[in-house]
Amino acid sequence: MASVTIRHVTKAFGESVVIRDFDETIKDGEFVTLLGPSGCGKTTMLRMIAGFDQPTSGEIYIGERLVCGGKTFVPPEKRGIGMVFQSYAVWPHMNVFDNVAYPLTIRRLPKEEIRSKVERVLEVTHLTRYAGRFPAEMSGGQQQRVALARALAAEPELLLLDEPLSNLDAKLRESMRFEIKELQKRLGMTVIYVTHDQTEAMAMSDRIFVVNRGGVQQSGTPEEIYHHPCSPFVADFLGKIDFFKGEAGGGKIVLTEMDHQSIPYDGPLTGKVDVAVRPENLQIDPAGTLSGRLETKYYLGDVSDFRVRAGSEQVRVIAPGAAFPDLAEGQEVRFSIREFLVYEDDGSLEEMLQIRS
Amino acid sequence: MDREGYAVNGGSVKENEDRRRRLSARIMRAGLLLLFLAGIALILMGYGGERKLAASGFSEGSGFHAVHALSGDVSAMWKQEILPALENRTDAERAALSELAERLTADAWDQMQSGAGEQVSAVCEEAGGNEQAREAFRFRLLHATYLTNGPRISAADRKKLISLPRERAQAMRDELLTCLLSEKAPVPPEAQSLLDKTDPQEREAVLMQIFLTGCGADRTALGDHIADFKKGIRDKGQQIYALRLIAGGGVGFADQLIFSHSRTIILLGILLIADVILLWLWMAQERRWSFDLKWILILLIINFLMVFQMLPLLYLVFKSLFPDGAFTMETLRRLWSYPLNRNALFNTTVAALATMLLGTLIAFPLAFLVGRTDLYGRRMFRSLFVLTYMVPPYVGAMAWMRLTNPNVGIVNLWLRRILGLGNQPGPLNVYTLPGLIWVLTTFYYPYAFITISRAMEKMDPSLEEASRISGASPVKTLFRVTLPLMLPSLTAGALLVYVSAASCYGIPSIVGTPGNVNTVTTRIVEYAARGQQGMQDAIALSVFLMALALLLLFLSDVVLARRQYITVSGKSTTPTLVHLGAFRLPLTILVGLFAAVVIFLPFATILTTSFKTDVGKSLLDAGNFTLANWKGILSGTQTLSSLKNSLLFATAAATAGIVIAAVMSYLLQRTQVRGRSIPGFLIALGSGTPSVVLALGLILTMRGNFGVSIYGTASILIIAYLIKHLVMGMRTVVSAVSQIHVSLEECSQICGQGWLGTMLKITLPLIFPSVAAGWFLIFIPSFYELSMTTLLYSGTTKTIGFQLYEYWSFTSQPMSCALAFAVLLIVTLLNFVMGRLTKGRFSI
Repeated sequence: MASVTIRHVTKAFGESVVIRDFDETIKDGEFVTLLGPSGCGKTTMLRMIAGFDQPTSGEIYIGERLVCGGKTFVPPEKRGIGMVFQSYAVWPHMNVFDNVAYPLTIRRLPKEEIRSKVERVLEVTHLTRYAGRFPAEMSGGQQQRVALARALAAEPELLLLDEPLSNLDAKLRESMRFEIKELQKRLGMTVIYVTHDQTEAMAMSDRIFVVNRGGVQQSGTPEEIYHHPCSPFVADFLGKIDFFKGEAGGGKIVLTEMDHQSIPYDGPLTGKVDVAVRPENLQIDPAGTLSGRLETKYYLGDVSDFRVRAGSEQVRVIAPGAAFPDLAEGQEVRFSIREFLVYEDDGSLEEMLQIRS
Repeated sequence: MDREGYAVNGGSVKENEDRRRRLSARIMRAGLLLLFLAGIALILMGYGGERKLAASGFSEGSGFHAVHALSGDVSAMWKQEILPALENRTDAERAALSELAERLTADAWDQMQSGAGEQVSAVCEEAGGNEQAREAFRFRLLHATYLTNGPRISAADRKKLISLPRERAQAMRDELLTCLLSEKAPVPPEAQSLLDKTDPQEREAVLMQIFLTGCGADRTALGDHIADFKKGIRDKGQQIYALRLIAGGGVGFADQLIFSHSRTIILLGILLIADVILLWLWMAQERRWSFDLKWILILLIINFLMVFQMLPLLYLVFKSLFPDGAFTMETLRRLWSYPLNRNALFNTTVAALATMLLGTLIAFPLAFLVGRTDLYGRRMFRSLFVLTYMVPPYVGAMAWMRLTNPNVGIVNLWLRRILGLGNQPGPLNVYTLPGLIWVLTTFYYPYAFITISRAMEKMDPSLEEASRISGASPVKTLFRVTLPLMLPSLTAGALLVYVSAASCYGIPSIVGTPGNVNTVTTRIVEYAARGQQGMQDAIALSVFLMALALLLLFLSDVVLARRQYITVSGKSTTPTLVHLGAFRLPLTILVGLFAAVVIFLPFATILTTSFKTDVGKSLLDAGNFTLANWKGILSGTQTLSSLKNSLLFATAAATAGIVIAAVMSYLLQRTQVRGRSIPGFLIALGSGTPSVVLALGLILTMRGNFGVSIYGTASILIIAYLIKHLVMGMRTVVSAVSQIHVSLEECSQICGQGWLGTMLKITLPLIFPSVAAGWFLIFIPSFYELSMTTLLYSGTTKTIGFQLYEYWSFTSQPMSCALAFAVLLIVTLLNFVMGRLTKGRFSI
């Protein structure tokens, strides 16, 4: 059993608190991603699970075993975890075979068993041909696979991945993504994956923890998080989204910066709100209730990206392919919103947008 | 520029272009050929001058050897005879003797003649021993004391000369000078009577002695005279001859120039030819017959190193195999036949090997504890161990001598009291091979420490973390991952310690010689002071030492380069610290104890000794505390002038060095110009050569016989310092420039800033801390240099290091301790100033 239970973990380096009361459980066999911008504390959390950092307070259990908390601290080598580092950390003085065999030789397994296990894991990671090579003679992607093979060699029940794909090119990244996911399914491991790339997180995870400023903002399946982000931050971090200022009340929201046009709304919020709309939920619609002037039009092949100026807001509309070929820039257009999210305007949005820009 | 694409009428433009290119190539080749011929013409001109000079009866002579032997005898004798004699005295006697020696050497020749002689006798009387031994001891003491300021001459002759009236002595000196340079000149009667008594082979030496003693009547000027004379015996002689020929009439200005500088002209011709050949080769390889201005920079550096580095070293190699122009192994056989030399070889090998092992064994755990664990005060320890790197080696030697001298060493006194031993010597004795090894280790382990800890701190920590997560304990990780990854820098550090220890002169000369523990370096310096044959032996020994050092450096560079791992990740990560747990406090105490023994104890000894009247007594004993030593060094004109010299020479060497380093880093990192790696290779070769060897080579080739006459001047010291220490500064600057991505400079140029402006506004501010560090790395070792200075100094170019050594050997240990501590203070102060100048970004 390799569930991971994190109980009220706080981590401070001197004055600055990096993780604030982190309290989550990761189920056995689950693929969980810690997703967040750089500096949000996700790597620190991972390193605490691995045992390279110690929490200031709180407890971490792997399975039923308390690995740190109170007076207990289990050093990394006693935790039985596999880990892939962002820099791969493939030892340059050992060849591929020795690198991968290392965790097994540490466990003093018989030579034959080591050989067969290493060969199996090399096969899984498509490295059989490279067994005798040294890291300096291999490409980044191959080294990355060596790191993965090494992490898998001891058949850990828990695998930690610290932005393992960030140094790869786009194509390789995509294929590795599916290979990792495939392996996880096949071997039934619990995987904790750290990344700042939301596409990666969406594609691979059973559950995503969106981390910001040392805490989990929201956790859930990729669909839940994408469609029901609990805060503007989460909404903004996953996928494209635009925010418009508005005033809710009387069954509608008046979009104050958009020439006071309004959209119907029967939710609980009143007063100042932020309306968040994903571009794919907007459509150019001659029968739409909203209007603006087409500013620019980008044809991107699979989709077209329209920028419509309404009041002082710019509205982004994504339409499939070469839709509306006869719309000209500067022309009045009507559009409608299919789906939107409403957040209370507490000033945090401005702050967030500032961080983004 | 290929403008083909723009041509309207492609064919004809291309043809024109081709024709022009061919033409300019032809012009260039013709120009090079012309320069080549000019070089040959220069050589022929110089050769003509030489021929005329030879025909006019000029002979070079070897007056140089005599001068050199005389000044060298002083230190050899002091070390071999007087110091051991002093060591066996009781504290009271030693105090009396050292005070006496100080008085005598200060400026009390007259005193010595009358009163002091009796004092010495009295001391000797008390010391016991038979009449003959006392007399011998007395004579040696008087003799050596006198020799401190002037060379040896037999007592009778000296008396005779001193009794001459001053003007007569002066006149005789001038006559003798002419006499020495021309065997035909008349010899003054006083000198003749002396000469008649001498073996003809020693005639020249005796002449020199008479000359110098003649100066000796006017004692203050003696140093200057020696210096003046050393500056170029050949040069002077040649110029006198040239003048004589000109006076004979019918010689024009050009001919005069050729006579008086024949060899300089030949040297210039050879350099010109070498340059032309290099240029031709480069252009041929480039397949472009056009001139690149950067080649001038490269050629300037190459020419400088060829004259001042390669010429001396190659001359040494040549002389060791062909001592008299013909190949012979006689010198080597003779050297080998002396047990003393075999012993020195054995000592050097054993001492260097043991120092390497011990130093690395100390440095690796220290580097690990200080760099990668949560040891208390690790930062402080680190700067402390690095600081040792900036301490002159002989200061440590002096301190350990005071601490573990078998009779009066402070540590020995304690140990005897604690262990309840009687008053017999021991239990520790620094004047032994293990003593030498210990002192060498305490001084050279920082070399390994710095090399290893730099690599260790830069290592990507996730390499170790990967091992931990794979199930390996911290100890296992250390042995299976950290240690193998550190192996290249570990080996490099170890070899550096080996070579430095084997070529060290300061420590063995202070710690080794009293107990007759000779090393190759002390033998070289001693032989160099022993006339013609001694010089021959010194050459052979130094070639051996050079071969040993360069071979090892070659091994470390070539063999290790292949095993160098890139373990540095682009990300700047703070290494994870290994938690020592229960061992944290005990290990901190252990490291603290080590620092106390290796750093605080010696420095404290130096400081307390500098306040003592009697070095054998405790500082707290009644009447033993004095400020006289400090007053002495602060008010002494000698100290101040040698301090001024040291500051001046070191500044000159460091500044010239940093300019070369900057040029080289630009050529290496920012251009693809052909031949840019040659100076780098030569520079590495020069700094790998043991100091003593380099100095010996310079002595033999820089006194006019190869067209350059800088022997005995400040230039020869500055050049020696520069060649020896340049590489440290260069590596620092080159690696700094390599870390500045070229896009930073390109961006500035895109923004409209010119090349020079970019260098000044972007590159220089970015590399400034490294430039400062590089300057400092050349300055510091040049400032306190001793090995080369011992061979190259002259009366007017004494440096602080040599002054200190002189005080230690001939005058007063407390005084030299005061000076040593002053040097430490200056070095520390400079380090602090550098830190402030670069806003804390300065570190070595």
